[in-house]
Amino acid sequence: MAVDTGLFVGITLVYLVLVIGLGYLGYRQTKGDDDYMVAGRKIHPVVLALSYGATFISTSAIVGFGGVAAQLGMGMIWLTVLNIGLGILIAFVIFGKRTRSIGNKLRAVTFPDLMGKCYGSSFMRYAAGLVIVVAMPLYTAAILIGGAQFITSTLQVPYNTALIAFAAIVALYVVLGGLIAVMYTDALQGGIMLVGMTILLVLTYVQLGGVIEAHTALAGMSDLVPEALAAGGMTGWASMPAFGSSIWLTMVTTLVLGVGIGVLAQPQLVVRFMTVRDSRALNRAVLVGGPFILMMTGVAFTVGALTNVYFYQNQGMIALAAATDGNVDTIIPNFINASMPDLFIVVFMLALLAAAMSTLSSLFHVMGTSLGFDVMRRTDSGKTAMRPIRIATVVMIVVSVVLAFILPGSIIARATAMFMGLCASAFLPAYAHAMYCSRPSLRAAKISLVVGAAAWFVWTAFVHVKESAALGLSNLLFGVPAVLSAPWQDVDPLVIALPLSTAALLVGWVLDRHEASADTEESAGAA
Amino acid sequence: MFGIPDPAIWVGYLLALVFTLACLVYGLLNWNNGVDGEQDGS
Repeated sequence: MAVDTGLFVGITLVYLVLVIGLGYLGYRQTKGDDDYMVAGRKIHPVVLALSYGATFISTSAIVGFGGVAAQLGMGMIWLTVLNIGLGILIAFVIFGKRTRSIGNKLRAVTFPDLMGKCYGSSFMRYAAGLVIVVAMPLYTAAILIGGAQFITSTLQVPYNTALIAFAAIVALYVVLGGLIAVMYTDALQGGIMLVGMTILLVLTYVQLGGVIEAHTALAGMSDLVPEALAAGGMTGWASMPAFGSSIWLTMVTTLVLGVGIGVLAQPQLVVRFMTVRDSRALNRAVLVGGPFILMMTGVAFTVGALTNVYFYQNQGMIALAAATDGNVDTIIPNFINASMPDLFIVVFMLALLAAAMSTLSSLFHVMGTSLGFDVMRRTDSGKTAMRPIRIATVVMIVVSVVLAFILPGSIIARATAMFMGLCASAFLPAYAHAMYCSRPSLRAAKISLVVGAAAWFVWTAFVHVKESAALGLSNLLFGVPAVLSAPWQDVDPLVIALPLSTAALLVGWVLDRHEASADTEESAGAA
Repeated sequence: MFGIPDPAIWVGYLLALVFTLACLVYGLLNWNNGVDGEQDGS
């Protein structure tokens, strides 16, 4: 690393003091369950927007997906389109306002609690809580890996030490300060990320001679696409892959649709809608959230693709060749370390650390509340104490850290897409139904949740070859890495499971209404 | 546009900017709407 370690350590210490200070503030303001789980429902709109954005955007989005853009090109910008259009506009305006008002009316404090109370069903609460407790550690581990990898490459500390220290610092303020601490620190971290990504964009274009010049140079590199990628349908870094090709299917179905749609039913984001006093705060948050996301994923994907121009002009190789051990997650850190001034390396390091910490803290919090409040609660009274939730949070943190040691290093983008795909498949139709139907059908929601989760799992374990080959279940049972051939094995599970769970909800709803109207007719006839 | 020859890419950039602008306009137009008990513009 080129940067002066003393300078970096000094600035990082100042940052950590600020984070711990905000965590302590959260701890002091946390007096009861509502404070711990929904930040007392009085969060400022700017804090909400920055917290939502900083939770949404992790190292996965910047390092992992930026690395994927370096490998596959600017087509990733379509994920930014969905991030802003669905992740901010639709999420806040269509879902956010209803979630806030219904959540407030029912006094719901977590996403599973909201689902349980909307449907009047402990099954919905348990099921949603269990999906979170079982699947979220995978995503959390990926966030931990991303943060630890960057700390290791920048500070030259052993990977294991980086991972444990990173988890321990975040755990400290999440366990003690609850959601108030999480959101206050998120806002600080979001601010740092905004500064870091803005400087990154400007310096990248300055280095490459300007916006048009950089893009033109990238478009002119299409003949350098590696043979294996060209065979998969890649046409260049400034053009979309060939329609219907294996790379096109991966980019469009897994990365763009999987993550873009998946964000709508993310428990750690949905709970944030319940932290504000009124819809005005959500309106104001939209104004901050849209530009924030543009400056996060839009910049990461653009700079990611443009690293090819930098590495080609300066080292005579494409970005993929400059990746350490072929791991695309190392491209952005390698680019920053090779091309940026010392001071900016420190700022960007902080931005990445902030991105990882903000997402991690929210995931720790949601996993802890899901296990301690939604799954392990013995009664439906809603009464609880913070102590069991704090203990559950520690348990989930330990599970995630163990998983981070087991999972492979190049998992960041894939684990993110998997988790978001599962959330959308299992929760989105039932969540939308609960928000927009005055008498939501419990049967429809149950069928949808089970069908969505099961379809996602079956497609992941037996068809989508990138996961099924790694999981090994298909090989064990059928002797092949995937039971269907191309193009099906390149289609993301979300693209199959979400329409199925939506159809299941509609069928269940129609059946319910049909039975209800038959009952009414019968009663009328009897009268 | 933007030095990018493939419309499938530059249309993506254009849409990302349009949606960002939509967020700004929405936030400004509804800045004071949505206090509990009032119409919130949704």
